[in-house]
Amino acid sequence: MLLGIDVGGTFTDAVIIADGRIMASGKTPTTHSALLNGIVTALDKVLAGLDASRIKRVALSTTIVTNALIEGTTDKAALLLMAGPGLNLTGLVPASPYFLSGYTDHRGREQAAPDRTEVAAACRELSGTAVAAVAGKFAVRNPLQEQLVAGWVAEELNPACISLGAQVSGSLNYLRRINSAYYNAAVWRIFSRFAAAMETALTERGLIAPVYILKADGGTLPLAAAKARPVEAVFTGPAASVLGIMALAAPAGPAVSLDIGGTTTDIALWQHGVPLLAPGGAAVNGYPTAIRSFWLRSVGIGGDSYVRRENGSLAVGPMRRGPAMSNGGTEPAVADALRVAGLIDYGNPALARQAMASVAADGQTPEDAAWATLRVATGVVSRTIRAMLTEQAEKPVYKVEDIIAGEVYQPELVIGVGGAALGLAPLVAEQLELPWQVPPGYMVANAVGAASARSTTEITLRADTAQGFYTVPELGIKRPVDKKNFTLQQAWAAAAVHLGERAAAGGMAEAAAHSERIYEEEFNVIRGFTTIGKIMTCRLQATPGVLMPVRVREAGV
Amino acid sequence: MSGKSLGLVFFPAFDWAITPAHPEREERLLYTRDQIVEEGLLDLPNIKEFRPRLARLQDAERVHIGVPGLAQLITDAHLVSAGGAITAAEAVMRREVHSAFALVRPPGHHAMRVVHGTRGFCTINIEAVMVEYLRRHYGLNRVAVVDTDVHHGDGTQDVFYHDPDTLFISLHQDGRTLYPGTGAMSELGSPGAFGATVNIPLPPGTTDQGLHVVLDQLVLPMLEDFKPDMIINSAGQDNHYSDPLANMAITAQGYARLTEKLGADIAVLEGGYAIEDALPYVNTGIILAMAGLDYSRVVEPDIARCPRQSETNTRYIAKLVAEWQDIWRRRDELKREAVAKAGDLWQRRRNIYYDDSGIQEQQQETVRQCPFCQGYQTVATQADSRAGGSRSAFAAIIPRQSCGVCRRQAQAAVHNAKQDGRHDHYYLQDKEQDTLEEI
Repeated sequence: MLLGIDVGGTFTDAVIIADGRIMASGKTPTTHSALLNGIVTALDKVLAGLDASRIKRVALSTTIVTNALIEGTTDKAALLLMAGPGLNLTGLVPASPYFLSGYTDHRGREQAAPDRTEVAAACRELSGTAVAAVAGKFAVRNPLQEQLVAGWVAEELNPACISLGAQVSGSLNYLRRINSAYYNAAVWRIFSRFAAAMETALTERGLIAPVYILKADGGTLPLAAAKARPVEAVFTGPAASVLGIMALAAPAGPAVSLDIGGTTTDIALWQHGVPLLAPGGAAVNGYPTAIRSFWLRSVGIGGDSYVRRENGSLAVGPMRRGPAMSNGGTEPAVADALRVAGLIDYGNPALARQAMASVAADGQTPEDAAWATLRVATGVVSRTIRAMLTEQAEKPVYKVEDIIAGEVYQPELVIGVGGAALGLAPLVAEQLELPWQVPPGYMVANAVGAASARSTTEITLRADTAQGFYTVPELGIKRPVDKKNFTLQQAWAAAAVHLGERAAAGGMAEAAAHSERIYEEEFNVIRGFTTIGKIMTCRLQATPGVLMPVRVREAGV
Repeated sequence: MSGKSLGLVFFPAFDWAITPAHPEREERLLYTRDQIVEEGLLDLPNIKEFRPRLARLQDAERVHIGVPGLAQLITDAHLVSAGGAITAAEAVMRREVHSAFALVRPPGHHAMRVVHGTRGFCTINIEAVMVEYLRRHYGLNRVAVVDTDVHHGDGTQDVFYHDPDTLFISLHQDGRTLYPGTGAMSELGSPGAFGATVNIPLPPGTTDQGLHVVLDQLVLPMLEDFKPDMIINSAGQDNHYSDPLANMAITAQGYARLTEKLGADIAVLEGGYAIEDALPYVNTGIILAMAGLDYSRVVEPDIARCPRQSETNTRYIAKLVAEWQDIWRRRDELKREAVAKAGDLWQRRRNIYYDDSGIQEQQQETVRQCPFCQGYQTVATQADSRAGGSRSAFAAIIPRQSCGVCRRQAQAAVHNAKQDGRHDHYYLQDKEQDTLEEI
């Protein structure tokens, strides 16, 4: 049995899945001030009458990190940078950095050594800072300087957590690695406290199963590993419902998915059965980071979106003024329009008509007003989808072949989940002239996604045979290779070994069994007119996704 | 953050090369890609990356006359590279960005109007294709092209040699010491476009100091006088002190300051073959300068290698600047003299060598000096290839805003040539109608 918990903005959902079927589900209001209370309540609801020891796996999607960042309750982290030549980073990162000597170039060669006395002086100034981040430009090509300086910082400052840029991401993009490392340190204490309290609550209920935290890219991390990389637990809510769609609907062709909640709709694009990832990574507090994340766009349209007239025309959202009138609220909302239009069958129909009558123009019936409201609401969603499609079509490519033979992305299906999906998804699909589907279980897709998400991790191996070494930044490894005989095939074999090591270190050894090559690059290094070596890049990941498809007994569409 | 927005078309063509070990090969922009991605430049809010479009053959044939046909001489990579320049230019014309940089390959500034093959790594002239596209589709008129590649921009010069509306300024290592050997001060444009071609041949070993003297005392005042609607920088990067194909001593800082002062609307990458030691830093410096960001921290690791400028060079450059200032001051008078001397027809014969294709071309060019329009041109060309083949063609070119007389005479010229039958191919390039036809 798998237990999944999703802490949403409005509700905390819990489900238990056994043999690919939802056995129990529970919903309780999210308790924002004390997140754990709501989680425990939802947990107790689904565990009622069950032997907790039968649960084999617990997976949690929580807003703890996202909320701490939004509310500004994170720690101020010491930020030490070896920036080398290039962009002046002052003002581009979330703290005032200490710029240190020492740098590595694009081939991973040390061009200047770091200076211990500088680090000591910086640490004296930073004395008392609880957490720190160290990042060097091109440290993904050679992590040694970053490790050396981190060692000095550990001795001089003794922080509770030191984040290293090359360990939070193995990809090029110093700016993103700095920001990721910084936020990782900044959220470390809040996440650690939450994780400890969570472990206690689970143990008290006799749950002995391993606990996983969902990541923004839909993978999961064992709780212990998440304590070292807590920033990866940001933006997991939308990731949970995307995974829920994978488990419940498994779209094979290109598709667009909508998670239609009370306040917002989260839109994702799918290709080859998986959602597209955000280029570069997620943005946190307006700063670009290297945190892998689904490419999602959120619009302020949901079942509770406030409907009113502004200068004579209908306006919908993006704000919410409590529930719809048909559900006991005081202001007209989208759910009232859906009720009057006959697209949903819950809520008080008389109150819904009253709500629509209050926004109707002269001579307009409540039914007309309802359909006009829905046109406005779905128009917002459709326009955003079209903008995403345009952006996808304009994505830069770096090869002639990709320009000449590049396929045009065109979704063939609209999938809706979330509370208002049955009402709104078909209307959006109609505007896009596409077929639609709302899978059974759509109300708890997020918790299903959390419960069934597979563990995942990735590594980047870059070999430079002209210099005779390869690096795996995520593991802090730099190793010699045979300059003459090292091949791309050997690079992939080494990558597979290191992926296994990383997975095992993170407590998810089984994850490496399903892996896929996500990037490959090979270039000759030429001096004069002679090839003196090759530069190879291999990126391998434990395939993210769901453990199994999930079926639901309730009647679906 | 600066308020200047920069459009970037980055197209490294990772799957295209002239030959595997050629300087113009797949990994030429690999290290540049590494540097700009590592710096996070594409994530800065005022830098927007654009995907290059594919230029159409017609866009290239608006500039070039390919013998036997352009389609047989180019690959898709050339159309993407030219399309990348067009994409950058359109982003500026539509005011989506303040300026744009097409960081694309293969380059183009050695490709002349008539094309028999590849020379100086270039087959079609991507700046010229871009300029003529903007004239056709956006009504652009006066353009200044400042070529800062170390090699003389002989192709761009050739394309615009008879066009008084295009000021072409080339700064380059003196042709007596470097490929392609042209670009002397005496090449000033044909009489009708006299002074619209400006060549500034610099001595080997010129540093940032010399470059900026030329820029401040010559190039910027010329641009001020010409008042172009648009400034384009053919941003070759092989003046760098580490470039293996040339002998100059410019640094990334020198290039970045040049970029800032020039304030080009569009920059298009040309050469630059120190792919590891120079390109990553020079390109970063140019991008930051165009985006109005602080570039003072962009310094090459081996900057200590960069030589200082000799006294001899400093004196030589001062003299060169003074001579050019004198020509520029007297340009109207010199133009009148040149036009008077040429009479109705101006002619020149040239030999052009295609180093990459092993072709020797002989060309005879004739321009009708017309008082009412730019005057039509004819070109008779014969190319002998190393492999032994020979191919000849005759073309007539009708300019934009041509007068009726020039139009009729150009058409007659090509039909008469065909009747004489001394060539293998006959072309009529009609810039007014935007067509190129084989007669």
